[in-house]
Amino acid sequence: MNTTHNYNRRDFMKIAGTAAAGLAFTSLPSTSFAASKRDKELNILCWEGYNSDNVLNPFRGMHKGLSLKAESGTDDPSMINKLRAGEIKVWDLINLNQCWAREQMWKEKLIKPLDRKRFEPYIEKMMPMFYNKTMGINPFALSPDGKELIGMMQRFGPMNFVVNTKKISVKTAEDQGLPMFLDPKMKGKYGLLAWDNWNVMHMCITAGFSPYKMHTPEEVELFKKTAQTLFANAKMIGGDPAQLNQALINGEIDAIYSGGTYTCSVARKEGFSEVYHVSPLRGPLEGGKGSLQWFEVTSVVNNPDVSPLAEDFLEYVQRPDICHTVAMAEASHNPVTQMSQPEVFAKFKKDELNCFQWDTLEADMTRSVDYQVVPDNDLLTSIYNEAKRTREG
Amino acid sequence: MSDASPVTPQKPRLLERLPGLIGALSASPFALLMLFGFVAPLLCVVWFGFMPPKTFSLLQAPTLENYQTIFNQTYFKSALWSLGLASVTVVILLVICFPLAFAMAKIFRGAASFITYAIATSLFVSENIRLFGWVIGFMKNGVVGGTLSKVLGLQIDSLLYNIPVIILGMVYVYLPFMLFPLVLGVKMVPDQVREAAFDLGASRWQVFKKIDLPLAMPGVMIGSLLVFVLSVGAISEAKILGGQKVVTIASDIESEFTYAQNWPLGSALSTMFIALTTVVVFFALSRFDLEKLLGKKPSE
Repeated sequence: MNTTHNYNRRDFMKIAGTAAAGLAFTSLPSTSFAASKRDKELNILCWEGYNSDNVLNPFRGMHKGLSLKAESGTDDPSMINKLRAGEIKVWDLINLNQCWAREQMWKEKLIKPLDRKRFEPYIEKMMPMFYNKTMGINPFALSPDGKELIGMMQRFGPMNFVVNTKKISVKTAEDQGLPMFLDPKMKGKYGLLAWDNWNVMHMCITAGFSPYKMHTPEEVELFKKTAQTLFANAKMIGGDPAQLNQALINGEIDAIYSGGTYTCSVARKEGFSEVYHVSPLRGPLEGGKGSLQWFEVTSVVNNPDVSPLAEDFLEYVQRPDICHTVAMAEASHNPVTQMSQPEVFAKFKKDELNCFQWDTLEADMTRSVDYQVVPDNDLLTSIYNEAKRTREG
Repeated sequence: MSDASPVTPQKPRLLERLPGLIGALSASPFALLMLFGFVAPLLCVVWFGFMPPKTFSLLQAPTLENYQTIFNQTYFKSALWSLGLASVTVVILLVICFPLAFAMAKIFRGAASFITYAIATSLFVSENIRLFGWVIGFMKNGVVGGTLSKVLGLQIDSLLYNIPVIILGMVYVYLPFMLFPLVLGVKMVPDQVREAAFDLGASRWQVFKKIDLPLAMPGVMIGSLLVFVLSVGAISEAKILGGQKVVTIASDIESEFTYAQNWPLGSALSTMFIALTTVVVFFALSRFDLEKLLGKKPSE
């Protein structure tokens, strides 16, 4: 294995530029500059949960002297841009929502294919949405030509909006869907979770069209009006689901735009079952659907000196006990694709299943469309930010 | 000139001829640290502001596109909010802290140390955690609302998510940065001068205006500058207490670097705001010459 780096001036400038550009939270592991024994190092860029010690410590125990670093990102594009900005030499695994691996990272050669023979037996035991005899492997885990396996699927869930069931009935919310928030009666009664890339998609659905197409000038104008109304009428805007859940529980707001089982789960686990995620019955998405769903695909980074432990870690998180640990990580609780296996499902207690709304999960996922890349996301994000800045509440 | 002067050693003569060299050499480690640790990153940010939008390399042809975007959109609103909130915070803190500083410097004696320790200790706790403490106090059925409803039967709504509560958060967070310089400033006022003024028939207001305030001005200036510069870049108060009722410029910059993935625009915004803050600070300094106030140079 080649364990030496030849850094030229251009590489140096790239890294120096990245480091100086104000990303104070980006600490390049020292080994990125030096030749290293990568078999004792593994760096994971992931959504919160995989960076929890409950998940990482057993793997550390299996590999004495391992330096295992996991950093949680704030949104998918930011994490990909770290790779684009030169950190492809830093990370070994990247864990993102489904569309990014196939649509962007694979095309830009930021990730590499997995050993299909090694992982297919695990995929074949996953829930039908991720593998079935008719469809085969879910296309989001495959390269566009269907030949290469580009990542492993594990956590998933629907992501639409959240209500306090003591204030708004689930039936009404499911029936009205996201446009419910435009009702003047909702003014000052909801909080906006500022996860901007999700909000852009949900605001398209609220305005009555799919986010996953190039939009006409009329639709863009409608999006602008919708964003302005939603910002103006929100009682509060926050980046932290815990803060919004707290406001929902103590009656300051009746609903959260937007949220999912992912954002509700911790509050529900603590016994606040009135915090409830709603998947709308219908909407402007493909097939008349009105709900979005995400699942994560974890891929091996196309690091020129990738850690040999990267695929080992992907295999390690398939273990039934670790599946349960990943699902119940302290930051958020989520169902996992392996729950179709009796030995995995048996590990979940009733309150754990209830915290991510297991009873209705299948119905919610059936109503949902996969999270995809928004073609004119830059334009819509710019309009969205403008609406936030000029908010007249 | 005779060359028979063996008593004159070489070193002092070198010192006489090149007095600045030793000073420059002594200062060079610090100068290098400032150059690479402070000036170079700042220049990188300035240069990044001239790179094409949504790119991640410093090695491209410069463009003014980001600055056009800034002027064509409503970023000025965020900038005005940041400047306005910072100015209001400075004024409120001056009003609150001057009497307290006066008491700590001239009256409390023993209790002054206790107040100093109490305020300094709070700084060991993360700002976000302290702000969440206020959230628990002010939220609906929180400490304030819950107590009022239990004791007096009064039902009040949440006191959060408005502009006054953002200002309260900023006043609370930046209080130590105003108070401690003010205490030092008030300590510079000699008691004899105040007594002499009272003996000559000056009223309390006249003593404050003619003696206390001018002589404590260095403390007032340093405190005000510290609070202004820190609070103009504040982000947490508007987010945590204000529920983003207003969007500050720091929040805009953060958005550009994260969700929008537009580092050049974020850098251009940072550059503009650094320049704006610098102008404001220099304007303040030109009005009040600190060195003159501190007695370092004679007044004309």
